[in-house]
Amino acid sequence: MSVAIVDYGLGNLRSVAGAVEHLGHAARITAEPAELRDAAKLILPGVGAFGDGMAKLRARGLDEALTREVVEGGKPLLGICLGFQLLAEASEEFGEHQGLGWIAGRVTRLRPDDASLPVPHVGWNELHQVRPSRLFAGIADGALFYFVHSYRLAPRAGGLAVGETDYGGRFVAAIERDNILGTQFHPEKSQKDGLAVLGNFLGHA
Amino acid sequence: MLRKRVITVLTFNDGVLYRTKLFRPDYRYTLNFVDAWSVDEIVVLDVTRPGEGGRENFERVIADFARRCFVPLSAGGGIRTLDDVRRLMALGADKVVLNTGALERPPLIAEVARAYGAQCVVLAMDVRRHEDGRYEVYGGFGQRPSGRAPEDWAREAVGEGAGEILVTAIERDGWLQGYDLELCRRLSQAVPVPVLVLGGAGTWAHMAEAFEAGAAAACTQNIYHFTETSIRSAKAFLAKRGLPVRN
Repeated sequence: MSVAIVDYGLGNLRSVAGAVEHLGHAARITAEPAELRDAAKLILPGVGAFGDGMAKLRARGLDEALTREVVEGGKPLLGICLGFQLLAEASEEFGEHQGLGWIAGRVTRLRPDDASLPVPHVGWNELHQVRPSRLFAGIADGALFYFVHSYRLAPRAGGLAVGETDYGGRFVAAIERDNILGTQFHPEKSQKDGLAVLGNFLGHA
Repeated sequence: MLRKRVITVLTFNDGVLYRTKLFRPDYRYTLNFVDAWSVDEIVVLDVTRPGEGGRENFERVIADFARRCFVPLSAGGGIRTLDDVRRLMALGADKVVLNTGALERPPLIAEVARAYGAQCVVLAMDVRRHEDGRYEVYGGFGQRPSGRAPEDWAREAVGEGAGEILVTAIERDGWLQGYDLELCRRLSQAVPVPVLVLGGAGTWAHMAEAFEAGAAAACTQNIYHFTETSIRSAKAFLAKRGLPVRN
């Protein structure tokens, strides 16, 4: 199966592609709307600032292409880290920025209850499975995943969250709504359990 | 709960893996010992002296690690410009390690943070302890005094956008006698970002001491070269001591 990894000029696309290939799928790193159409599944990765990310998506016409494929066409998409946050309506990172707007909710700064907890939240932390999700098939509740972020997506609607993580208060670490999935953590950087999450999204090679 | 991290730091001289002692390449190794499934993170540093080799071999190393290791990968050594950063990120690095380049031109930190986010910027500092107990940051492979105190430099760097601080105690490099815990404590208290310590780990207990002194991550460079045991056994030791680590 062919997987398109959306290249909008931000983040570590190679490692996502490496993980997809490790799982036996063909990965295509691309910024071409036509190639998004041809792919069976899409991954929107990304590390970096929200406003910059959206500006780059728009500059390449990828915001419209993605909306066409995913929202109108129903193609499965997994957003990772910034790619997950971009699904929101807006973010407060470095000023107010509009997102793709597929998920009602905002991206806000992490504000741990315990002021001694550093932000960014960097490292391995537990994922609590708050709702069954196809992403978690075969993965233990409380498994550890790698996070690196200063902001978090807070969906307005309850029930979208499938995974939560505690860092001076719980935040949404994974969502699933029909064909739209997202993880705040990096499955491609979370070793066996991370590869399992990706494998669950991609299906059998 | 967030786990304490155990990070492996690998230094390359013209693309060849070396251990170092007192910041000089000391002995050549192969990559086979890297326990790819229990390490939490990998840092690769190019310690090639100017004029003693090109970048191509190191860049091959990064690409190779990025393809084979499904943990975070940080790369550094010789970064002076945003273009240097772009090249390393394009090869598959998740974060970059800035050191002398940031000392020479602190706005470099902000440039990288703006382009890739603060979480991509690891500010590394090499610190010497003077006889009177005063600490000073050194640039240029730990050779050039900067006149800066580590806490001040860490605060300034975080203000510019550094997401993590990696501190190396120069005199402890390669001696396996334990981390500089005083330095670790000072930096952990000075900045709100994770502090990663390197230099001196010789036993698993040394790692535990660093965590207890406030480190978010214990980095090791040489220890596995001298032991038959692995990161897995380090983690088992740390867990038994009540420290939250990923098994």
